Amino acid sequence: MKWLRLIRTFIVVSARQETAYPINFWISLLHALLNLGTGVIGLGVIFSQVDTLQGWAFADTLALMGVFLIVSALRGLFIGPGMETVAGLGQEVMTGAFDFVLLRPVHTQFLITFRTWRLFSLVDLTLGVGVLVWAMQGSQIEAAALLLFAVALLAAVLAVYAVLLAMTALTFWSPGLMLGWVFDAIFQLARYPVSIYPPWLRFLLTWCVPVGVMTTIPAQAITGENVLWPVMGALGAALALTVGASWLFSRGLRRYSSASS
Amino acid sequence: MNLRGGIALIKGTWASWMQYRAFFFVLAFGWMVPPLVSMLVWSAAAGADGIGGLSQAEFTAYYLILILVNQITYAQSNWTMGDVIREGGLNTWLLRPMPSIFNVLASECAGKVVYMAFVTPVAVLLALVLRPEITVSPDRLALALMSLCLAWALRFLWGYWLALLAFWTPRADALLALQDALVFLLSGVAAPVLLLPGGLQTAARLLPFRYMVGFPVEILFQNAGVGEILSGLLFQVFWLAAAAVLCRVLWKAGLRRYAAVGG
Amino acid sequence: MPESLIQVEHLSKVYRVPEREPGFKAAVKSLFQPQYRQVAAVQDVTFQIAAGERVGLLGPNGAGKTTTLKVLAGLLYPTRGQVRVAGQAPAQRSSAFLRQIGMVQGNKSQMIWDIPPLDSFQVLREIYGVPTAAFRKTLDELVALLDLGDLLTRPARNLSLGERMKCELVASLLHRPQVLFLDEPTLGLDISMQQRLRKFISDYNRQSGAAILLTSHYMADVTAICDRIILIHNGRKLYDGALGELSERLAPFKLIRLALANGTNHEAPDLPEGVKVIEKEGSNLTLRVARQDAPGITSALLASLAINDLTVEDPPVEAVIDRIYQEGSVA
Repeated sequence: MKWLRLIRTFIVVSARQETAYPINFWISLLHALLNLGTGVIGLGVIFSQVDTLQGWAFADTLALMGVFLIVSALRGLFIGPGMETVAGLGQEVMTGAFDFVLLRPVHTQFLITFRTWRLFSLVDLTLGVGVLVWAMQGSQIEAAALLLFAVALLAAVLAVYAVLLAMTALTFWSPGLMLGWVFDAIFQLARYPVSIYPPWLRFLLTWCVPVGVMTTIPAQAITGENVLWPVMGALGAALALTVGASWLFSRGLRRYSSASS
Repeated sequence: MNLRGGIALIKGTWASWMQYRAFFFVLAFGWMVPPLVSMLVWSAAAGADGIGGLSQAEFTAYYLILILVNQITYAQSNWTMGDVIREGGLNTWLLRPMPSIFNVLASECAGKVVYMAFVTPVAVLLALVLRPEITVSPDRLALALMSLCLAWALRFLWGYWLALLAFWTPRADALLALQDALVFLLSGVAAPVLLLPGGLQTAARLLPFRYMVGFPVEILFQNAGVGEILSGLLFQVFWLAAAAVLCRVLWKAGLRRYAAVGG
Repeated sequence: MPESLIQVEHLSKVYRVPEREPGFKAAVKSLFQPQYRQVAAVQDVTFQIAAGERVGLLGPNGAGKTTTLKVLAGLLYPTRGQVRVAGQAPAQRSSAFLRQIGMVQGNKSQMIWDIPPLDSFQVLREIYGVPTAAFRKTLDELVALLDLGDLLTRPARNLSLGERMKCELVASLLHRPQVLFLDEPTLGLDISMQQRLRKFISDYNRQSGAAILLTSHYMADVTAICDRIILIHNGRKLYDGALGELSERLAPFKLIRLALANGTNHEAPDLPEGVKVIEKEGSNLTLRVARQDAPGITSALLASLAINDLTVEDPPVEAVIDRIYQEGSVA
C-alpha cells in the first residue's frame, strides 16, 4: 500500500516536471509522429518490392512494428527515464547526487525504478496500439492468443527492464559508459523479425541482448502462432534476467559505496 | 581568412574530444544502426534473386558505403548551435578575430576524426563477415568523391541554416529532427532511392535530402545511368548554393536581432 | 555507560584508485592489466559524539573529512573499524537508520530542478512516511526560522544559490533527524547568507536537540556553530576537544605585539633569546615566543627597550590550524 502511494506521488511530481515546459509537448509529439512515420513508410517501401520477408507478410511485420512501438513506449514511460536519471550523461552517478538516493529509507532499486515518469509515453503507447490494431484488422484474435500476447508482452517489458538495470549497474564501475544508449541502438534491430538476420546476429539477439524475446515473440503470439513454449521460456528467461540484474545492481551499489569520494 | 587560427581550433577541439571518445563512439554506433538495419532487411529481402538489379552482396556493399558516407556527412554540431546562441557561447565566438563559422567547422572536423576512428574499423569488420561485392570504374569513383564533398557541404550548410533559426525560436532543433527523418526516408537509408515507389522517388529526386547521403553512393553502382548522375550533380550544386545563400542571409539577420535583443 | 549517539572506533578507509599513464598504449595496457594504488583517506580515527553536540570536522582539502562524514551516513563502507550511529551500523543502510539522519552537501542538490521546492518536500514526506500533521508543523517551523516565505512555490531552478541552500536544509530536516550531517553547507554563499545559515543551524540544534556534525573550509562556520572540533589531517585525528583549548594545546606559543618609542633603533632592535620576528611595520613589531617564556621575555623587553605599547595574545585559530597543516603534525 505504501509502495503504491509512493508511486502515485512520483507520477504526480513527474507530471508537474513534464508540464514545466509546454513547448516540449509539441516537440515530443513531432518526434513521436516522425518515429511512427519513418517506421511505417520504411516498411511500406520494402513491401512495395517483396511480398514476404522470410515468411513474414506485411500485416505480420506491421503487427511486429506495433509491438515494437508498444514496448518502446512502456520503456519510455518509466524504465528508461528512471535509469537515465541515475546513469545518464551528467546525471546522478556522475554528479554524485546519487548520494541522496542512498540516503532515503526506501529500497534503492524500487526508488530508482519508479521515481521518474514520462507521461508523454502514453501518447506513444496509443500510437503503438493503433498500429497493432491496424495491422490486425480483419483477422480473428482468439482469447487464448490475446492472453498469450499479454504474457509475452509482460516478459518483453521485464526483459527490457532487466537489461537496462544491468547496464545502469555497470555505470557504477565506469560512469562514462553510455550503455543505455548502446541498448537503445541495438533495440532498433527489434523493429524487424529476428529471423531475417544472419545466424550469428540472431544468436546474439536471442541470447546476449534478447531482442527476439522483446518483440518477435509477442508479435507471433498475437498473430495466432502457437508459441506457448517460447512465451513460457521468454517469461522464465526474463525473470532470471531480472534476478541477475538486481544482483548486479546491488553489487554496483556496494561498488559505488566503496569507491566514490 | 584566418586559416592558422582555424587549424589550431580544430586541434584543440579534437584533443578535448578524444578525452570523451567512449561517449562519441557510442553516438557513432547509434548513428550507424538505422542503415545497418536497412542493410540486413534488404539483404534478407533480396534473397538469391536480387531486387531492382541489385544482388544481395551489392545491397551489402551499398549500405556499408552508405554507413561511411552517412557518418562523414552527418553534421552533429548543428544540434548544439541553439545552445550556443541561447547560453551566451556565441559572445565568445564573436570576440574572436575570425569568422564564427570556424568554430562550428572545428567541432565538425574534430568530430569526424573521432567518429571515423570508430566507424571505419566496424565497417571493415562487417565487410569481412558479410562479403559485399562491388566493381567500380575510376571515373565513377572520381565522380562519387566529388559528389561526396558536395554532399558534406550541403548537409552541413542545410543543417546550419536550420540551426540559425535558433536566433528567433528556442526549439529550432525540432526542425533538425525533421531533417533527419526526411534524410532517413528520402536519402537512400530506408531504401536505395531507385527502389522507392513512385511519389516518394519523385520527392527524393527534387528535394535536397537525397543529395546529402544517398547520391554519392548511388554513383558507384551501375544501375545509376549517366544522365541520372549528371542531373543529380546539378541538383546537388543547386541546393548547395541555395543553402549557402540562406545561411548568409540568416546569419546576418540573426546577428542583428542578437545585438538588438541581447544574448 | 549508555551508548553514545555516534561511536567511531579505529575507522580506516582505503580507496583503490586506478592508475594510468597518459597515452594510447597505456590505455590498452590498463584494459588487460589495470594498475591500482591504495590511498588511505582515513586512518585509525576514533571518537564519540553525544546527542545534541555540535561538532566541527576540520582539515585541509583531502584530509578525509568528507570521507568520514560519508562513512557515518552509510554512503561509504568502512575498510576497517567499527562505526555505529543511533545504535545502527550505517553501512547496512537500514530504514530505521536512514530515518534518523539528514545530510546537506553544499556542492550537490536534492531539489527537483523544474518544480517548486514544496513539491520536492511532498515527495520526501511520502518517502520518509511523515504524517501530514507533523509535516505541516515541521515545515511551518522551518519556514519561519529560515524566512522562506514565497520561495516554496517558485521552481527550484529560479532560486539563487543561497535560497536553494535554505531549501536543501529544509529537505534534510523534514523527517526530524537525530543527527544532521553538514558537508560544506555554506560553500559559495555570500557573507550575510553564511551568517543567517549559521544562526539557523545553531537555533535548530537548540530547539530540536539534534546532534550536528559539520565540515567546512570557513573557520567562521565552525566558530559560530561548533563547541567542539575534531581536527583531521592526512586521514589522522590530530585534535579532539573544545575550540578554545585548541591554541593552548596545539600552538605552544604566544604573540607579542610591540610599538617601539621614537628614537629606538627600528631596524635592529636588541631582542632577547628565543624571540622570532614574524611581522614588522615601521615601529610596530609582532614577535612569536614559546608559551612558557612569554612572561620572562615580556619583562625583559620592557626593561631593555623604550616601548609605547605592548600586548600579549593567543595566535588566531586560523593561524594555528594553518601552521598545523603546513607542518603536518602537532608540534
